[in-house]
Amino acid sequence: MTHAADALAPPAHPGRLRTLLRGPLEMWERLGLQGRVTGLFAFGALLLSFLMGGLSFYTTSHFLVSDQVNAAITEAHAGAGTLQTDLLATSSPRIPALLADVDNGSGATSVLFFHGHRYSSSPFTVSINDLPSGLVSLVRKGTPATQNFLLDGSPQVAVGIPLPARRVNAMYFAVFSLADLDHTLHVLALALALGGLITTVLGGAIGRLASGRSLRPLTAVSRAAVAIARGDLDTRLRATTEDPDLAGLTQSFNAMVDQLQERIERDARFTSDVSHELRSPLTTLSNTLDVLEAHADELTPRAQRALELLGADLRRFERMVAELLEISRSDTGSADVSLEYVDAGELVRQSVAAGTRTMPESVPPPIVWVDPVLDGSILSVDKRRFERVMANLLENAALYGGGATRVAAEHGPDRDGQATVVVAVEDHGPGVALAERRRIFERFYLGQSSGRRGASTGTGLGLALVAEHVRLLGGLVGIEDAPGGGARFTVELPVTDGEEPW
Amino acid sequence: MSSRILVVEDDERIRSSMRLALEEEGYEVDDVASGEEALDHFAAQAPDVTLIDLMLPGMDGFECCRALRRQSAVPIIMVTARTDTHDIVAGLEAGADDYVTKPFVAKELGARIRALLRRARPAEDEPRVLTFGDLELIPEQGVLRHHDGEDVHCTRTEFRLLCELATNPNKVLTREQLLDRVWGYDYFGDGRLVDVHIRRLRTKVEPDPALPRHILTVRGMGYKLVP
Repeated sequence: MTHAADALAPPAHPGRLRTLLRGPLEMWERLGLQGRVTGLFAFGALLLSFLMGGLSFYTTSHFLVSDQVNAAITEAHAGAGTLQTDLLATSSPRIPALLADVDNGSGATSVLFFHGHRYSSSPFTVSINDLPSGLVSLVRKGTPATQNFLLDGSPQVAVGIPLPARRVNAMYFAVFSLADLDHTLHVLALALALGGLITTVLGGAIGRLASGRSLRPLTAVSRAAVAIARGDLDTRLRATTEDPDLAGLTQSFNAMVDQLQERIERDARFTSDVSHELRSPLTTLSNTLDVLEAHADELTPRAQRALELLGADLRRFERMVAELLEISRSDTGSADVSLEYVDAGELVRQSVAAGTRTMPESVPPPIVWVDPVLDGSILSVDKRRFERVMANLLENAALYGGGATRVAAEHGPDRDGQATVVVAVEDHGPGVALAERRRIFERFYLGQSSGRRGASTGTGLGLALVAEHVRLLGGLVGIEDAPGGGARFTVELPVTDGEEPW
Repeated sequence: MSSRILVVEDDERIRSSMRLALEEEGYEVDDVASGEEALDHFAAQAPDVTLIDLMLPGMDGFECCRALRRQSAVPIIMVTARTDTHDIVAGLEAGADDYVTKPFVAKELGARIRALLRRARPAEDEPRVLTFGDLELIPEQGVLRHHDGEDVHCTRTEFRLLCELATNPNKVLTREQLLDRVWGYDYFGDGRLVDVHIRRLRTKVEPDPALPRHILTVRGMGYKLVP
């Protein structure tokens, strides 16, 4: 992801903005596709609800306020008219009573400037000095005017009307409280904000759902890829949908796996075919060699030496072909494991006996030690495979570790509650360097110590086969340092407690 | 007198080399290149042991094996390039007594042939007669027959397997023991040899092979014979 972003970004001149944005951008990238889609949806919903909410709040409040102000102006004019008539009609009017009358009709608080006196119908609510001075001076000049202002934090609208007459020279102000309207608008704003919040959360949720749905095929692809990488080559994506976009993905993915599988199988088949084809000439060669060896004394010493060389390498060649075949069988998945229930100690003793039988006499046989607690431990193994494992480990020790000194069978660690048996083959050789311990089980891997090819070297497949056999038996291989120096190859196998296999 | 071996193998070079190596081991060897020739040759001169390659042109090794088995109890060793369970079990089902896989050395083959030719030598003056069910078995004379005198035909390997079981009635014999005593294999012999032969034997001596009453499987241990 980051690579793609880097490639798309304009080259050179990383401006200050980019430097500033790098942190958040990287965080954004790290969110993952689903996180980002969710974020974008939530942000979009927030923006939209903010816009819509703002617009509706603005129009509603504008409408309500102007409505209220117009009503106030109308009321004020009516009040002013009444007041003027009353003031003209009476020579010494009782002004507070008049103002109270006017207030009763309009619901406003009236303020009157009359003959240098100032009257307020409700001095505790609106005192004379509370009126905005700008409004007062406008009205004094003879212009009716309206102004919104705050009184003790509460919104008010004041309408000022000059009352010019022959004997009457007065200014009338009607102050209306907008507190109710303000409250209404507050509630509206709160409702809109809440709506916006809900919309944002919903947007995020829809984004998550939608991206989850659209990512589902990707999740399936990833699961399938993991299964294939694990070696389960028969894994395919199911074509569950008619969706043309997804059908394409499914098809091309499956086609890719088909080709991959075909190629792998062809490679494995090739190895298998080659090995099979080599078997016929090898049969001829080894039979002929047998005859020649039976008549070796009739040959000259030079010819005898040549025959020895021929014989040694022919046997090695034979083993290589046999081992290649064994490996290719497990590659093509045609390896058959015939499990039997056997006593662990008996199996180890027999395998070591069989493995040392083919060793040259110069290699002393190892000490075999079976932990007495293993008595009665039953392993479910393919005996022939286990025999190959032991023979190869013993041979490996003979070739590179001066011969196996000890073969030990003991209790291993529990795996998922299942007891295990560890069979260890130890030697007193140079040991295996940490860096080589994993690679040494690869095919034809030549380690440090195997660099020198002596009179008899291995086929390069022995340990690879050990790993393959043990894997087929459901066990684990490992290398440790032997106590007192040297290598300790371990084979860990599960102990069986289930039913008999036949 | 040396034993006579018939080699059925289509690859001329393998055939020649096998002939050389087996003659070196002291056998008299006849070789043919196809199953059809093998049947003709068999009619003219019956060998002591037959080696049949499973991959033959025309009549394949399995068919050749079955055809020979119909007319004779001669020991048959099949020679196969594949070690897949399927091929081996199919070959044994077709009537083979044992198998070797290519590439094999003449010494290994020689050991297999000797094991097949080995016969229980008459050790006592009084021939033993073992009985179970309505059958009687005389190991030293190679006789297996019903009480009414009717012979039961079985191969030499089947007979030896039956003798091992019958001389130890009611005793469980493991596959390892049976492989060792009948085929001459060690601990790591192929247990499938025993299983297939037991199956074949049951079809001949059990009244109902699906519900054996004499040759019983002892789960996890081996087989035993109950008289």
